[in-house]
Amino acid sequence: MTALARLKRALGIDTRQCDYTYERDARFGHVSSSRVAEKWVKTTCGYCSVGCGMLVGVKDDKAVAVRGNPEHPVNRGKLCPKGLSEHHILTAPGRAKTPLLRKNGTLTPVSWDEALDTMVERFAGVQQKYGADALGVVGTGQLLTEEFYTLGKLVQLGFRSRSYDGNTTLCMASAVSGYKLSFGSDGPPGSYADMETADVVMLIGANIADNHPILCHRLERDAERTLIVVDPRVTKTAMMADLHLAVKPRSDIALLNGMAHVLIRDGLIDSTYISQYTDGFHQYKEFVAEYTPERVAALTGLSEETIVRVARLYGKARAAFIGWTMGVNHSTQGAVTVAAINNLALITGNIGRAGASPFSITGQCNAMGTRESGFTSSLPGYRKFEKQADREELARLWGLDVERIPTARGLAYPDIIEAAVAGKVKALWFIATNPAVSFPNYSVLEQALRSVDFLVVQDGFHPTPTSDFADLVLPAAIWGEKEGTYTNSERRVSKVNRVVAAPGEARADFDIFLDLAERLGVREELYPGWTTTHDAYKEWQRVSAGRLCDYSGISWEQIEEESGVQWGGARLYEDGVFRHEGGRAKLYNVPCEPFVEQPTSEYPYVLNTGRTVEHWHTRTKTAKVQLLDTMAPYAWLEMNPVDARRLQLKPHDRVSVISRRGSVKNLELRITGIVAPGQVFMPFHFAETNSNLVTLGAFDPISREPNFKQCAVLVERFVTK
Amino acid sequence: MALPLYERAINGDDDGLVRLTPAGAGAATLIPDRAPAAGEQYRFHFDMTKCIGCRSCEVACNEQNGNPAEIHWRRIGEIEGGTYPDTLRHYLSMGCNHCLDADCVKGCPVDAYTKDPVTGIVLHSAEACIGCQYCVWNCPYSVPQFNAERGVVGKCDMCHGRLTDGLEPACVNACPEAAIAIEIVDRTAWRIDYSSADSPGMPAAGHTISTTRITLPEDAVQTLQRVDAGRIRPEHAHLSLVVMTALMQAVAGTLVCALLRQGAGRGLLTALLGVTGVALNISVLHLGRPAYAWRALKMWRRSWLSREVLLFGLFFAALSAATAMAWLGAGAQWLSWMAAALGVAGVMASACIYLVAARPAWNMVHTPLDFLLSAALLGSMVTPLWTRTDGAGAAAGAAAGLWLANQAVRLVRLSRSERFEERASAGLLNTSGLREALIASLALVAMAGALSLRGDWMAAAVVALGGVLLSRYLFFVSVVPLNMALTFVRGGGR
Repeated sequence: MTALARLKRALGIDTRQCDYTYERDARFGHVSSSRVAEKWVKTTCGYCSVGCGMLVGVKDDKAVAVRGNPEHPVNRGKLCPKGLSEHHILTAPGRAKTPLLRKNGTLTPVSWDEALDTMVERFAGVQQKYGADALGVVGTGQLLTEEFYTLGKLVQLGFRSRSYDGNTTLCMASAVSGYKLSFGSDGPPGSYADMETADVVMLIGANIADNHPILCHRLERDAERTLIVVDPRVTKTAMMADLHLAVKPRSDIALLNGMAHVLIRDGLIDSTYISQYTDGFHQYKEFVAEYTPERVAALTGLSEETIVRVARLYGKARAAFIGWTMGVNHSTQGAVTVAAINNLALITGNIGRAGASPFSITGQCNAMGTRESGFTSSLPGYRKFEKQADREELARLWGLDVERIPTARGLAYPDIIEAAVAGKVKALWFIATNPAVSFPNYSVLEQALRSVDFLVVQDGFHPTPTSDFADLVLPAAIWGEKEGTYTNSERRVSKVNRVVAAPGEARADFDIFLDLAERLGVREELYPGWTTTHDAYKEWQRVSAGRLCDYSGISWEQIEEESGVQWGGARLYEDGVFRHEGGRAKLYNVPCEPFVEQPTSEYPYVLNTGRTVEHWHTRTKTAKVQLLDTMAPYAWLEMNPVDARRLQLKPHDRVSVISRRGSVKNLELRITGIVAPGQVFMPFHFAETNSNLVTLGAFDPISREPNFKQCAVLVERFVTK
Repeated sequence: MALPLYERAINGDDDGLVRLTPAGAGAATLIPDRAPAAGEQYRFHFDMTKCIGCRSCEVACNEQNGNPAEIHWRRIGEIEGGTYPDTLRHYLSMGCNHCLDADCVKGCPVDAYTKDPVTGIVLHSAEACIGCQYCVWNCPYSVPQFNAERGVVGKCDMCHGRLTDGLEPACVNACPEAAIAIEIVDRTAWRIDYSSADSPGMPAAGHTISTTRITLPEDAVQTLQRVDAGRIRPEHAHLSLVVMTALMQAVAGTLVCALLRQGAGRGLLTALLGVTGVALNISVLHLGRPAYAWRALKMWRRSWLSREVLLFGLFFAALSAATAMAWLGAGAQWLSWMAAALGVAGVMASACIYLVAARPAWNMVHTPLDFLLSAALLGSMVTPLWTRTDGAGAAAGAAAGLWLANQAVRLVRLSRSERFEERASAGLLNTSGLREALIASLALVAMAGALSLRGDWMAAAVVALGGVLLSRYLFFVSVVPLNMALTFVRGGGR
């Protein structure tokens, strides 16, 4: 501003009126002139996996506005606060714009050639010295399906390392494993529409009002439908419920078994379905016989009447739906809890019908894409490493020798970190993820980051708490800067489009992968003639053909036209044919074990962690959207008034949360009846007060998912020194 | 800002006003399908039983209006109650309530507000606004917000530009739960029974007769309480007003005292005129748009702010005339008396500005008493520097005593009040920093009283002025406005 302009502003002659005018946008009507677009680009939201359709307004090559796509079947024009402000992320500060290589201890800008040559050289050095699997790669749920498919081939077939996993293991791995246990394959069986059709909807450990707000309109209060919410905390979602079951932490298995007990006892099961489509009913029946309402009442803290009532509601429902998210998954018993949910659906025939489904509500925008195409916990197309026929089929499709295809899954995410600490993994490559905030038990993670010989962080933003540790930072394009597909929770494949160019020298992850393949000398072998993500998509269509997740009939053009297409149709398993050998689903006996770290007199509180509606994951993005960040600028600790009285704490006191592993200092105390006595809760988004300084490094033996949700802590008044 | 609705209606060719065709499916139930008839107006309906606290409305509002992140014309509040596991938590979502008796409209010195005769929407003109922020003080819901980047206030206008085009306001359009809608209300019937405007977490609707209808969950009223009550922060200090009010009171008080002692000579008058000039110029700095300060005279029939400006302006003129006459040797005592009367009237008008229902700690008899007693205190200690001093010590000592008594009674009443905002003001005065300032202000005035009894007038005047300035600073920062319940973090800031 010139001196004259400043003077005019100071005197009030100028009121910046020009920045505050209104115009009629041709499509959306009267709005601030700053939000009027020249064109609207159709795309899909890049935050969570609800998969809302949106239109991004562009003017002078800048993203200026976002609107929900009124024609999109998922969100019907609505968006949550993160979606409504998503265009700001494309002009946000803090972007990584140039490759940075650590030289003499400082990250120094280098050319892409130097960056990628160094990367290939250093990885090769490590792999030659310590073995191929000494390169650990951790991906994400934030890339395009085309990029996941490309990256999987690059890591497993190009770099030939099996130490490859995604941050989806921190998130949805238990759902994947649970589906595999029960049905023989991953794949959420239902659709969002089932929530509207069902007459009983039960949400377990799922606070959708904060985490998936745009699903809530499907559960609007309705005399025809009963909404049951199982959560130890009185969440926003619990307030929507007809019946909130405030269970003790991690007692959901007991509740599920107890419901099965009542269903079998009262004859509210579907015997025909059980005998035709499932295995294991007799041992299951015997097993749940022990879960009497009396015993379950003691385990869950609910009354016997409530347990019987809920079981009967579920059993008598015309169509019953069970949805879950992290309250179930974030546990050492996550995978089997999913199996316990599936048990209920199977014995009542509540699967494969309109409104009737067990249904995992996924986390990241494209966690599903990596589950299907990613080559981490399974071979692309839900194929199994251990199945010879699957490997042969893939080898044939790829024109490779079958020996090139690994015969077993490599290390999962937490095991890669442990191997790095143990000196077995000596190079790490993180792509679009921020483990320094998101991985449990931070001190072990930090040790891993410091132990490796070469650490590459590929991200849209720099610095992040993780990229601070990097030897090489690769600047990547983000949502809105590249084209491809995402698949949402209900298997809907949606198109994501390029709205603006990536800043500086940042490149699409896809281009980085192809460039690395070139330098490795495998580009023509693995990606023959590929130049765009569409080439990857076309190969993925061929590779997925005939699989449960069959993309072969879904073209990009069709996706654009129909605002997304669900693979497998509206629901899976309508024919009752499951993916186990023999085609039958399995019932599992799932014992209810206490969670790993029980409170003691020294660490008397159970710490629960979760999200707020304003933020996404570790805030690398939403902290840069000023509006969202001012709405929830810092974390707090929720504590019941009973406990606060005992500790003589007042609202807004500063407190520290201390576990056996570390402490989170200087949190603001919120005294509230939202949490039960003996439990405390804090949001996990904030690097400044990182909940993972205290969380437990215990992992599900099947899914390898961390037990983020319960650990024993002590709460003390924070004293500034 | 676009033209107000009624102008568009009057000016003719825009039939959007009467047509109000809903655009697309779903919109039909959320905005009325007709314009309000005579005696009717638009209002918001907020259904608390539907709201899930997702804050989409808040973001959509900022996007609609291109507002900076720290300004939220629509805000969300959290209210909670009950005991675990039967805890209740609910949310408030509020823009402007487009009140029937809007205090922002009444207080505005420049007529920047219009209660639109057709729609009842309370419209604000950024063009007319001078950024005095008196509406911010007047609104019991803290709806108008000062945009420092612009120097003017802004507020929710119910997206009238969209309504006239038959489109839902941004918040209505964004809500995924259809919890916000626009309705038509009969003003006469609503004035008789506005009980469904009341809600836990909201100031009583009766102050200004809010038109927003709120559908509450069952049993909400008994149990739900705001969760932001512990996060009360000091208000803006308005330093230019601290200085202006204290100096004007000193000038008016001194002139009266000097006249009573027959000692308003040309030297004193000149000095007072100089101080008045400085004070009035400083006061202009309070405005977001100082260049348009003169506009503040406009609404003298209605606004105490206009009256203050008018009376102090006339005071300055009378004092100038009296000073000029004094220098010309034409003693015009009546002119000085007239100036004194205008000065005291100005001080009273000044006090009346702060008697607003939306700021309970100001809205007490102690405010005008403080302003008058400050004038007496400062006048009684400054005057002896220019006039004879017999009996002046006793008068000044008495003024100091009364001033202190007024402050003490005010503090006791605040801390024992049944009103949350008044107790919270007392609470703020007891926080670290403000507590010390409070003690210092009282001590300074007591010391000034002692010094004046000893006849040390220069020291007494300086110390008393220090005490009054500090006390006035506390008056501004410690007021806790009425407001809707906000979120636990109250919109942020560490």
